[in-house]
Amino acid sequence: MSIAEAPTQVIMLPDVPVQPEPRPAPRRRSRADLYVAGGLAALVLFFLAWNITGFPTATDDEGTYLAQAWAVQHGQGLAHYTYWYDHPPLAWIQLAGLAWLPTVLAPELIAVAAGRIAMLPVVGASLILVYVISRRLEMSRWAAALALLTFGLSPLAITMNRQIYLDSFAVVWMLAALALALSPRKHLWHYAAAGAATAVSVLSKETMLLTAPAVLVAMWQNAAKTSTRPWAFGGYVSGLILVGVFYPLYALLRGELFPGAGHVSLIGAWQFQLTSRSGSGSVFEAGSGSHSLIAAWLYYDTVILVAGLAATVVALAVRRLRAPAIAAVILALVALRPGGYLPAMYVVQILPFLAIVIAGVADEGVRRLQPRRSWWRWAVLGVAAVTALTLVLPRWYVGDRRALTTDDNAHYAAAATYLREQLPDRATSTVVVDDVLWIDCVNAGYQREKVIWFYKLDLDTAVAATLKDGWRDVDYIVSTPALRQDPGSLPTVTKLLTNSTPIATFGPQDGRIEIRRIDKNKS
Amino acid sequence: MIVVSLVLAGFAAVTLWWTMHAWRTPETLASTRFAAPDGEHRLTFSLLVPARHEQAVLEHTVERLLESTHTGFEIIVIVGHDDPETAEVAHRVAATAPGRILVVTDTNEQKNKPRALNTALPYCRGDVVGVFDAEDQVHPSLLEHVDHAFRSTDADVVQGGVQLINFHSSWYSLHNCLEYFFWFRSRLHLHARKGFIPLGGNTVFVRTDVLRAANGWDGTCLAEDCDLGVRLSSRGAKVVVAYDSAIVTKEETPGTLVSLLKQRTRWNQGFLQVYRKGEWRRLPEFGQRMLARYTLTQPFLQAFSGIVIPIGIAIAIWAELPVFVALITFVPVIPMAANLVFQTVGLRDFGLQYGLRTRWHHYARLILGAFPYALVLAVAALRAVWREYTGKRNWELTAHTGAHLTKEPVAAKSGVAA
Repeated sequence: MSIAEAPTQVIMLPDVPVQPEPRPAPRRRSRADLYVAGGLAALVLFFLAWNITGFPTATDDEGTYLAQAWAVQHGQGLAHYTYWYDHPPLAWIQLAGLAWLPTVLAPELIAVAAGRIAMLPVVGASLILVYVISRRLEMSRWAAALALLTFGLSPLAITMNRQIYLDSFAVVWMLAALALALSPRKHLWHYAAAGAATAVSVLSKETMLLTAPAVLVAMWQNAAKTSTRPWAFGGYVSGLILVGVFYPLYALLRGELFPGAGHVSLIGAWQFQLTSRSGSGSVFEAGSGSHSLIAAWLYYDTVILVAGLAATVVALAVRRLRAPAIAAVILALVALRPGGYLPAMYVVQILPFLAIVIAGVADEGVRRLQPRRSWWRWAVLGVAAVTALTLVLPRWYVGDRRALTTDDNAHYAAAATYLREQLPDRATSTVVVDDVLWIDCVNAGYQREKVIWFYKLDLDTAVAATLKDGWRDVDYIVSTPALRQDPGSLPTVTKLLTNSTPIATFGPQDGRIEIRRIDKNKS
Repeated sequence: MIVVSLVLAGFAAVTLWWTMHAWRTPETLASTRFAAPDGEHRLTFSLLVPARHEQAVLEHTVERLLESTHTGFEIIVIVGHDDPETAEVAHRVAATAPGRILVVTDTNEQKNKPRALNTALPYCRGDVVGVFDAEDQVHPSLLEHVDHAFRSTDADVVQGGVQLINFHSSWYSLHNCLEYFFWFRSRLHLHARKGFIPLGGNTVFVRTDVLRAANGWDGTCLAEDCDLGVRLSSRGAKVVVAYDSAIVTKEETPGTLVSLLKQRTRWNQGFLQVYRKGEWRRLPEFGQRMLARYTLTQPFLQAFSGIVIPIGIAIAIWAELPVFVALITFVPVIPMAANLVFQTVGLRDFGLQYGLRTRWHHYARLILGAFPYALVLAVAALRAVWREYTGKRNWELTAHTGAHLTKEPVAAKSGVAA
């Protein structure tokens, strides 16, 4: 049958536009999300930035990572001493990329304090991602905002997020992976990017691998009942492996993949960390390292940890909250395992997941209650909200006020100033310092080879070889709490401390910093 | 070194991106299928079946075409005047369905597929001309789907899916099958959407008036299917691609590795000829022209990178370049390895869709054979370039042997030509 044979009625169809008109409703919604997330993130960043240099106390770990970033920035390899594959290097490579920020904003600060400014964009991205993930987990806007604020304003989070930790870099990438795995468009390349982000996260801090199952669960749920699920996983695996493989490849190309005489190696470092590293004791054993660490975390904020773990148990039963709950469960179980090693910054990894789970369970509760129906449901909700706020707000007020007002680093700054301005013959002296002051000394004009991180005196043969007369080649030692932490474990450091006299002292007795001149005539 | 590596990585990434087009989102995948037909038969078809020294398979193919559920079609079998065996079969089959089957004799001195098709074009009475090869297994309900696709999309050209099936025959047939799978399942859809498409050699349907206005096929081109697609695209014809594993046209891979090599050489040389003809320059948009340029030269880029990347890595390792530079030389491997991962997923999907069992050794073949197969493609690409540019452009001789119509003679004869 042709058109000519058809009945005479002719129907004129309007041209169908190829692209449907841009839908105004979703656009407005995403705009609102943008304002909420952006505004709250800015607010949290303000609290983070205020007094970021004064609290908490600069730690040796921060100095180490910053010094390694310094080495990358100055083209001196992956570390300021021989890189021995202790951690994958991506986090401090990223830190090196952000290092221009503090030099622009605060050139006069001591290095570690200034370096913290570089963490602000990283934490800012994490905050936004927590919001995005919450929204993609079908949480209401208020719940997503609650997740962001919980993650941002918990005193524990403020303390940890201010510090220069590799974990913060790992967290932002793993959150990105989770957000991509929850892509509403279920796009193949989003899944591949999620794999790549997972790899970057793990190459920023290896322990973040523990949370990868959460991303897989999120993907599995998101791709459910679609025809493209196997392809999605193909994309994820490609991204993960093909980016991740560059780390062992780097070691292989340097001839440092397998253990051997006379060189460091990736596999050797893994063997050391898995077998030889002494545990920090059980969490449940009073007096152990892990126990006091957990006590310290609880001291900063009980709310996010206790409420978070309680919410995690509930969230495991809710399908849409299962992915972040799984991440939190794995991290918590690993922390509680007896006899393992628990690093001081471990809690950084679990905080965003706890925040999402807390807000998610609140969202689920409100959804189940359906308060629209009757006044008493609203009353229940109101009582719950008021109770939660009265429990949380006073504690957080105290913790956050401490973070905003305390200056714990004044004595470090004073010591750095003394080293920079008052110590004689800076160009020729050999000084032994901790990692916090290492960069400040190098920046102050000391010869890079003659500023020695105290650890290396006894543990790095290459460093010991530069001192022909042993400890007598050292001119000064800067004694800090970090340096005095394990008395007796480092013989050369002990020797230097006993054969020296203080020429300048800063800070209170328990946290004092002494600049000591070596008495070379002693035996 | 760094620049070369990054450029190669860019090419490989773009190719991967396009290859995976159909699987980007569930919506894209759904849109690549034929829409369910409405059961109405409004269009009439003229199905062209050129046959040359194919007396063994022709009868079965035509019988299968006669089983079509569509009511309005005719079959035109084209045989050569110098090929009495095939002609005999054709006439015998035609006698079983008078009025449905017409036998046309191609009297061109130099025989090839485009000339055979052009010989038959004046005899076509249908609204739409369809092309099949003599060894194709065509699904009975294909025409119904195509009829509906033409009407519902207002298309000038409909390209149906073609799939090599015998992935278990040999190591290279596995790769060959997957190549078809990715090409028809995914890549062609992207081309159709962008408005530049090298058509396939069969299961291709063109409105008769559009085809006549374009003067049919180019009798001198080694890849007449690609050429037709390029010419129709540059005239703004609307092309629709639809793939449905249930009604795909099934074929088999070339019988030997040498014949595969010859076949691929011919296609590559055809692509090169189409590129040099420059019809694609008339495409209206810059993006389309770039896509054309890229697609027509892709076999050569692929061959080039298949050789250069391993060499680059070898240099990086043996010459002890700085570690950073050495790492960069590995970057192009990322998209290539990702491609292999997707092929693994594709093999599983392929097995599921066609109800074929894929065993572990097939996956092993896939992975172990990837590099040798890339080498075969590279050799084919180099041969094509060499034949095209060294005056050994004797495609007439190839055409004389009927290279494109059967597989075995190609292997024997064009080997002589090369």
